[in-house]
Amino acid sequence: MLTIENLHAGYDKTEVLHGISIDVPKGKVVTLIGSNGAGKTTTMRAVSGMIRPRSGRVTLGGKEITGQDSFRIARAGLAHSPEGRRVFPTLSVADNIRLGAFPRYTRSRKRGDIDADLDKAMEMFPRLIERRDQLAGTLSGGEQQMLAIARALMLNPEVVLLDEPSMGLAPILVEEVFNIIRRLKGEGITMLLVEQFAAAALDVADYGYVLENGRIAVHGSADKLKNDPAVRAAYLGGSH
Amino acid sequence: MEILIQLIFSGIALGMIYAVIAFGYQLTFATSATLNFGQGEALMLGALVGLSFAGNVLGGPYLNFWMMIPLVMVFGALQGALVEFIGVRPAIKIKSEFGWIMSTIALAIIFKNVAENIWGKDDLKFPSPVSEAPLHFLGANVLPMEIIIVVGALAMMLAVEIFNRKSIYGKAVVATSNDRDAAGLMGINTRLVITFSYALSSMTAAFAGVLIAPVTLTGATMGSVLGLKAFAVAIIGGLTSGIGVIVGGLILGIAETTTGFYISTGYKDVPGLVLLLLVLAVKPAGLFGKTAIKKV
Ligand SMILES: Nc1ncnc2c1ncn2[C@@H]1O[C@H](COP(=O)(O)OP(=O)(O)OP(=O)(O)O)[C@@H](O)[C@H]1O
Ligand SMILES: [Mg+2]
Repeated sequence: MLTIENLHAGYDKTEVLHGISIDVPKGKVVTLIGSNGAGKTTTMRAVSGMIRPRSGRVTLGGKEITGQDSFRIARAGLAHSPEGRRVFPTLSVADNIRLGAFPRYTRSRKRGDIDADLDKAMEMFPRLIERRDQLAGTLSGGEQQMLAIARALMLNPEVVLLDEPSMGLAPILVEEVFNIIRRLKGEGITMLLVEQFAAAALDVADYGYVLENGRIAVHGSADKLKNDPAVRAAYLGGSH
Repeated sequence: MEILIQLIFSGIALGMIYAVIAFGYQLTFATSATLNFGQGEALMLGALVGLSFAGNVLGGPYLNFWMMIPLVMVFGALQGALVEFIGVRPAIKIKSEFGWIMSTIALAIIFKNVAENIWGKDDLKFPSPVSEAPLHFLGANVLPMEIIIVVGALAMMLAVEIFNRKSIYGKAVVATSNDRDAAGLMGINTRLVITFSYALSSMTAAFAGVLIAPVTLTGATMGSVLGLKAFAVAIIGGLTSGIGVIVGGLILGIAETTTGFYISTGYKDVPGLVLLLLVLAVKPAGLFGKTAIKKV
């Protein structure tokens, strides 16, 4: 569904990604693991068009999207819940969620039943229901994170990129976020997931990629990575 | 007392014009953190184009005042989009911090020169669409056109506000103002949103131009001072507050008419500038400016 081939990307003069390749098959969850500064967020940004890759190829459902503007990539069906949530602080919760469906409202993407999806998103995150009309900027960090995920899903996307959906959340909420990811996977949603909780990410994922200094060090099925001694030592706390 | 009421009425009409131009500054500042320093010239062009349709300067009149307004607004929108396209977009693209200042000022000078060549350097009389006999109210005289100015300016600002709050396109504009990158991820063409905000901003100014033209003189130089005063109002009220520009506009408008009468017309521009300096010293975000609610 989403393929990344030999991607090079970075900022101004520094190159962060030195040719990485990742394959996200339809209906599967792929997780990208790596230490701070490895380039996980940069990968997601280069895929969704927030930054322009220097070279390489990105395709979505067989169509090339390399270097296109982010709004075109979104209209093509790629949703990206970015690092740091980035909800729209002066808009209400409901308006934030609606904007996730913007290309559907404007029919640059198949419309479907937006209101039904809105209800479904609300039902998936019940604590957003009572805060429907509250400004997103006044939500707690955890609530903002749920809003960011709900907003991304409103695109009715072919692929969802989730960049650290559990960042800064209390343990109980981290659990909740992983339950939601599991539920989305059950619905057949294709996902590329970046998580600091590598063990939990590998538990939900089908495949994993380990990113080290802008290069893919190891990749394979989630089970294979979970049992890889080097991966265990570096990312899974070395034990169990 | 009656004189004071009279001065306040005139000040309100003038202040609402400042407010609506200042509102135009806010529109582009919100989406792109840039300003069109040619707002005054957009107003001037709107007035002169309107005069050409509804007055007798270029072989007209071709239309009555009310029919002319939509055409002037379309013209203003196109003119604003042009300014964005040739003056601002390139500067934003190369992330030039000051490029847009120079280019919008340069375009303003060009527009003024073009206007002088088409309509001449002399001030022209803009025919009033309503009776020029004043109405009497609380012992003071109010021109019917002044009432139209106040109502028209408020209606314009209200219309934009409703559009932003109710329509999905308006929400896309607000989203772009909040976080341009995140708005892009929602499938919003944020470059187009910025062009749109320039179009809307110049459209507002052009509309203000035809509102004010019947009560002042119309000519190529009419916009410069208005644009500058409205800029002061935008700073005084705050570049992010809709209420701020209305209050700021009224304060400045009334301060000017009263100073002009009680002190000297020669000093009528002073209170605005003093107020501007005071606000910059005491509350640089403007009287009503606030820092955005943002949790990280
Ligand atoms: N906007 C930016 N401008 C310049 N350099 C950046 C920018 N964003 C990230 N970098 C640099 O790129 C490198 C990779 O950063 P990136 O955010 O992709 O890492 P990450 O794997 O997501 O890390 P983390 O786990 O901390 O989120 C880092 O060295 C970082 O300093
Ligand atoms: Mg990151």
